[in-house]
Parts: sequence; structure tokens; C-alpha cells
Amino acid sequence: MKQTWIAAAVLILLLAAALWSGLYLAQFTDSLTSTLYQAQGMVEKGSWEDAARVTENAQRRFQDRSFYLHVTLRHNDIDAVETSFREVEQLLSHRERLGEYAAANARLITQLELLAESEHPSLHNIL
Amino acid sequence: MTVTLIRTVILYLLIIVGLRLLGKHQLGELEPSELVLALIIADLASVPMQDNGIPLLSGVIPILVLLCLDLLLSAAAMGSVKFRALMCGRPSIVVEKGAVVQEELKKNRFTIDELMEELRFKGYTDLSAIEYAILETSGQLSVLPRAEEKPLTAAQFGLTPQETGLPAVLISDGRLLEHNLKARGYEENWLHKQLIDHGVKRVDQVFLLTVDEAGTVYFAPKEGRA
Repeated sequence: MKQTWIAAAVLILLLAAALWSGLYLAQFTDSLTSTLYQAQGMVEKGSWEDAARVTENAQRRFQDRSFYLHVTLRHNDIDAVETSFREVEQLLSHRERLGEYAAANARLITQLELLAESEHPSLHNIL
Repeated sequence: MTVTLIRTVILYLLIIVGLRLLGKHQLGELEPSELVLALIIADLASVPMQDNGIPLLSGVIPILVLLCLDLLLSAAAMGSVKFRALMCGRPSIVVEKGAVVQEELKKNRFTIDELMEELRFKGYTDLSAIEYAILETSGQLSVLPRAEEKPLTAAQFGLTPQETGLPAVLISDGRLLEHNLKARGYEENWLHKQLIDHGVKRVDQVFLLTVDEAGTVYFAPKEGRA
């Protein structure tokens, strides 16, 4: 009987942890994408320096959670986001090609959205 | 490489703990649900073992969930006969009073050749000697011979032989199992007397020493030491 209760408790704990992780990831990526949208707005207004600072801040926040992200998500997905961050950072430092920057930033935002989306307990993810 | 090695150790230990939790079933006696569980666990563990790009948790969480579900379903099966039948199936009588129950064979997709082979394994070549043959839920075949085919027992002769009980191992490969010695109610002095009676002086000279509940001692010395 004791084993049954332990099994039920472990299952509930795992479910709670999985739901919390999904929720946390969604909030985290939401905050990063809104920062990246904000950076794009700055670039469109010509504030390349501010955009670089804001993007760098987003990248640092992403790197700060590197351990958690590597433990819970596929490493390839994390590495792809990291690569995109560096690409955007380089384009911002050259301050020339707005179109290229916009495309790279959009790709980065999509990658972040897909990270959270892949953990969302929706029907299409389950099926 | 080191990462792979550490991951393999972790997953191996997890599987060992998991299989211990499954119980003492032998592989050949697994219920269908347990066989499926064992196969899935093995497969789940092998993926993060081979691919370092997949988080270890992707293997660990499904394994934990499966083990917990198995424990819960086992508890449910213990409490409900109907649920147990649903999970494990019911035994099928495939031979009844010497006649093959063809309907049951068909239902279990068990061919007559397989039945005859299983019966030969059990030492029966003649179907008419069998009262019942039952295909158990584990896939094993249990055979009950006709009364006239059953071996004679001491009770049928009116004899009452002494019960010898379960032999307890007191010395295994040169090591004294003190717990068993005390459980049988013997002291070390008794053990030393037994060793001397059998021509050895020390415990490490003994390969196996057992004693049953009637006090009968079985002694096997270590080769080349006695």
C-alpha cells in the first residue's frame, strides 16, 4: 500500500513539475521575444546602440538559464538559439543591413517561440 | 565520451532499480503488461544513452512514469478481479479430460504443434493421460494428469515421512552466514564441531554447508583445500 502511495505521489509530483516547467518556459521566452521586438523597434528608429544593449541583455538572460534549458530541452534547439543570438549580435554591431538584421531577429524570435510551444501540453503536440 | 559513460551508468542504475520494483518475476514468466513495460523501458533508456543531444530527463521521466503507473495498476489489479482479468487475461483450458479444446487454442493462437511440444516438455506424449492442460496468463502450460497417471505418494501408501523443511545455507563459498546460523538456533560451537566432523578446521575451507529443519547437514569442501 505504501508503494502505491509513493507511486501516486511521484506521478503527481512529475506532472506538477512538468506543468510548472512548461509555464516557466513560456513566460521566459515571452519576456525574451518582447525584448527582441523592442530591439527591432529601436533599430527601425535608428538606435542601433540601444538595440545592441537590449539584445545583449536578452542573450545574457538566456545564457543564465543555460543549465535548466539543457536539462529540460533538446540540446540542438538550445544551440540553435545561441547561434542566432550571436548572428543578431554581429549584425547589430555592424549597423548596416536592416533587412538582414530583421530576418535574423525574426528567426531568433521564432526559435524562442517554438521552444516554448514544443513544451505546451496542447492536443497537436500530444498527437 | 565521458558524458556517454556517466549517462549510461545513471540509466543502468535506474533500470536495475526499476526492474527490482517490478518484482521477482522471471523474464519468461512476465505477464503481458510487464513484458511490454520491460521492453519500453529498455528502449527508452537506450535513446538518451546513445544521443547526448537529448536531455537525460527525456529518458528518466518516461521510465519513472511507467514504473509508477505499473505500481498503481498492480495495486488496482490486486484489489479487483475484473481489472486483473482485463490487465493479465484469464487462464485457458486447452485440454479437458484428454480432449483438445480447439476453440481455446484458436482464441489463444496456439497451434496443436505448439501444444504437443509443450506437453512433451512436461513429459506427456499421450493426450489421453491428461485430465487438464491450462495455458496460464504468463504463457506457461500447466498440466494435470489423470488420477491413474499421477505418481504415487507416501500418503497413498499410508506412510508419514519426517518433514525435513527448507535447508538453510550456513556457509557459502567460504563465508559464514551468521544470520542463518542464528535463525536455525545453532551456536558457533556446533558449527565448529560439524567442520571437525567433516575433516576441516576453518570456514574458508568449506564451499557449501547447509542444514535442514530436521538437522541434516549437507557438506561440500572447497576443492583442493580440504
